[in-house]
Amino acid sequence: MDAAEYLDLLLKALLLAGVYAAMAVGMTVVYGVMKIVNLAHAGFLMLGAYFSFELFNRFHVDPVLGAVTALPVFFLFGMLVHWVLVRWLPKSDTPTLASLLLMFGFWLVLQNLAYAKWGNDDQSIFTPLTLSAVHIGDTISIPKVNLVVFAAAVFCMIVLQIVFHRSWFGRSMRALIQNPYGAQIVGVDDQRTARLTFGLGTAFAGFAGALLGMLYSFSPDFGRPFLLRSFVIIVLGGLESVTGVALGAIVLAILETFSTVIPFPWYHQGWKTYYLPPSYQPVVPFVLLVVVLVIMPKGLAGLFNRKWKTA
Amino acid sequence: MTRPQNLSGWLKLVLPWLLFAALLLLPATGPSDNIIRLLFLTAVWTTTGLGWNLIGGMTGQVSFGFAVFFGLGAYTTALFMQYGHTPYFGFVGAAAAAMVASFFIGLPTFRLRGPYFVIATIGVTEAVRVIMNNLEITGGASGYRITENKPFNPLEHYYTAIAAVALAVLVSTIIANSKFGLALRAIKQDQDAAADLGVNPYTSKLWIHAIAAGLTGIAGGIYARRAAFFYPGDVFAFSTGISILLMPVIGGIGTVWGPVLGGVIFVIVEEQISVKFPNFHLLIYGSLLIIIILLEPDGLLGLLRRLFRLFPHQQAKTRLAGDPG
Repeated sequence: MDAAEYLDLLLKALLLAGVYAAMAVGMTVVYGVMKIVNLAHAGFLMLGAYFSFELFNRFHVDPVLGAVTALPVFFLFGMLVHWVLVRWLPKSDTPTLASLLLMFGFWLVLQNLAYAKWGNDDQSIFTPLTLSAVHIGDTISIPKVNLVVFAAAVFCMIVLQIVFHRSWFGRSMRALIQNPYGAQIVGVDDQRTARLTFGLGTAFAGFAGALLGMLYSFSPDFGRPFLLRSFVIIVLGGLESVTGVALGAIVLAILETFSTVIPFPWYHQGWKTYYLPPSYQPVVPFVLLVVVLVIMPKGLAGLFNRKWKTA
Repeated sequence: MTRPQNLSGWLKLVLPWLLFAALLLLPATGPSDNIIRLLFLTAVWTTTGLGWNLIGGMTGQVSFGFAVFFGLGAYTTALFMQYGHTPYFGFVGAAAAAMVASFFIGLPTFRLRGPYFVIATIGVTEAVRVIMNNLEITGGASGYRITENKPFNPLEHYYTAIAAVALAVLVSTIIANSKFGLALRAIKQDQDAAADLGVNPYTSKLWIHAIAAGLTGIAGGIYARRAAFFYPGDVFAFSTGISILLMPVIGGIGTVWGPVLGGVIFVIVEEQISVKFPNFHLLIYGSLLIIIILLEPDGLLGLLRRLFRLFPHQQAKTRLAGDPG
């Protein structure tokens, strides 16, 4: 492979990282504020994809517009879910048995309602964008749909960053992430903030699901592989930081994209160089997860912090 | 063991033995093959549920990855039988393989606070299934077939499964009444306080995870030997891990008899409802999970206790050692 092909892959990986970041950020804020590992995130991703699919099929709404519409709709849906289910969970500093099982049960319900409604078949969203590409030189060709999806994801991440750092809601979220008791003492309404945060997390899950639905085909079991990827990203990002999520998304996207083109030595009737078979690619996120857990449990940010402190 | 003080105490002591004797003598009354098959399945799934309950219920570490141990048990037993060993030796191998696998998950994750263990268990099922789907020695995604050079004897399978579930109940009871079990319950309630009192949370979790994995591996081997054909999309499926977790939660988390009750209900639902409405049973489980967590965290056993006040003695004990959630 020559340099241009590597550049092509690198560009694709970076574009993918944008969607990954939008996908994982919802999970990070929910974990940060409520210390709940939101397993229903996978269900929300799946619903987001079907949401834009239905809008596109019935009303011919552009999928990108559909994804943006998903933001307010899923925000309200998330607040409702919090009001009905999540707020009854006991508070804790670490994820409790009850919270895990509750969110998991809710995911099962969402998934199987989707099976009842849309059946087992794979669906996909085809637009004129899907098959056209931007060409740079001979080897680099980027599908337009990836560019559009990336732009939408990055735009929403920037809006989130502004909300996070420039609004009272963002300030109370950050306060609860840093120290829940301290935040309550200075007057942060934790129930209200938790409700809004859950709405926000769900909104981003629906949005990212709609974007992923433009890139991949989906079925009611759509969210599961992306749930694991979201985990890997937020663990890489140190669990509670939005900037960490962006970093983690880039690392995961690059490793996944390049895993099948980097040769490695392996012993099979003599030492030779091999490539990872593409069928093994789904193992990459998990291997990355274990490596991260062993080497740097505080995530990339923790690694940098430690380096700076000792230096 | 101290003498029971009242009637319900006596019942608690006698009922398990009555149940065990009834299960042993049942084939003599000439039941239909289907009854034997259902009881076999109940025994196998209950064994896995009891295994999960040790780490998930007693120690409070939720695992979504018990399908890995179940599948490893199935494949190990099959490979042992392929190379001419008796299946019973295969079950021992299955337990050993599952225990080794449990250390691979536990060693990196139990050191850390937070959700790492749960995340790793989801990751490991996905990864192992992908690997097993591509592994050539075991036939990859197309599955593995066990051939035994003797006629199919449902009663032998039945008695093996009953022995396994008896072993699981025995192990659970011994652990629940031991100092080790007390340490596990302490870890579930407050890890820091437990550590202050001299419990090592890291090694305790590692060992109980290994014991739980071993029981699940044995159950996987017994299941595979009767099924005679299995494939990674079945034994390593994420939904297998879900099923294993559901039984203790439905029946009563952290108790010895909860998973048994859950296992019975699970097999009935699985065999009766899922045949008529595929996918519908998972909807039921999901709703049941939500309702149980929000309304009756002690599961059906807790509900029964509340209804009948049959076991006031045990109730006091679980309230003392139970889950605060």
